[in-house]
Amino acid sequence: MLSYWIMLSAVLFGIGAVGVIIRRNVLVVLMCIELMLNGTNLALVSFSRFQGNLQGQVMAFFVIVVAAAEAAVGLAIIISLFRTAKSVESSDAGDLKG
Amino acid sequence: MIIFWILAVLLVSSAAAVVVMRSTLNSALALTFNLLVMAAAFAGLHAHFLAVVQVIIYAGAIMVLILFAVMLLNVKAERHKRHENYLLVLAMVLAVCFCGALAPLVRAGFGQPAPETAAVSGSLAAVAKLLFSDYVLLSQVSGLLIIAALAGAVMLARERRKE
Repeated sequence: MLSYWIMLSAVLFGIGAVGVIIRRNVLVVLMCIELMLNGTNLALVSFSRFQGNLQGQVMAFFVIVVAAAEAAVGLAIIISLFRTAKSVESSDAGDLKG
Repeated sequence: MIIFWILAVLLVSSAAAVVVMRSTLNSALALTFNLLVMAAAFAGLHAHFLAVVQVIIYAGAIMVLILFAVMLLNVKAERHKRHENYLLVLAMVLAVCFCGALAPLVRAGFGQPAPETAAVSGSLAAVAKLLFSDYVLLSQVSGLLIIAALAGAVMLARERRKE
């Protein structure tokens, strides 16, 4: 039964990873990063349930805290990227490209 | 078990919708739905405090931030030139390999739920007890992290005055 939850969490992580690689819109990339973090949280919480202690839940709580801080800073970076590149597509932000 | 399959179908389909949808707003709404169903999954795994935290912080605060950014930056749909099809194939192959590496786990089918006592009930009292006794350093440092992230976000996003 635990293995089904872990498989589900791996599928969610994989879908998020595919989204990060494929999409050019940096806001959608940020959303896919949140998807990956959610997949990880699901794995942590299901381990916590099937082992009978709360350590997985505490770790998932800290993952949520760090994800919130990272989303705030990431959006600030996106806003300042938008100011120079005038677009949110990563293919338009190629100033440093050789 | 039926609950697991319902949750799994909802989670995977909304995750796929986040990746596939052309419009950024549709992706954001699909992600919000995914986060809410994930909170239901946490509640089903007896992590009640974490389910509430997920709704309040993830679906409530983080998604609102993302939607603010979508609204303020006036994001339209992605343009259609897609000359990187090899990247799509490579990403899919890697994701399938990653999930396939866990396939023997599913065949083995290990893990029965542990019997539930009050100490590990996933309620607010039990998690708070752990957070403030064993992990008190981590919880204080995470407060510091949030302050640092707040200051950094304000610094990054403020108007640059042209001297």
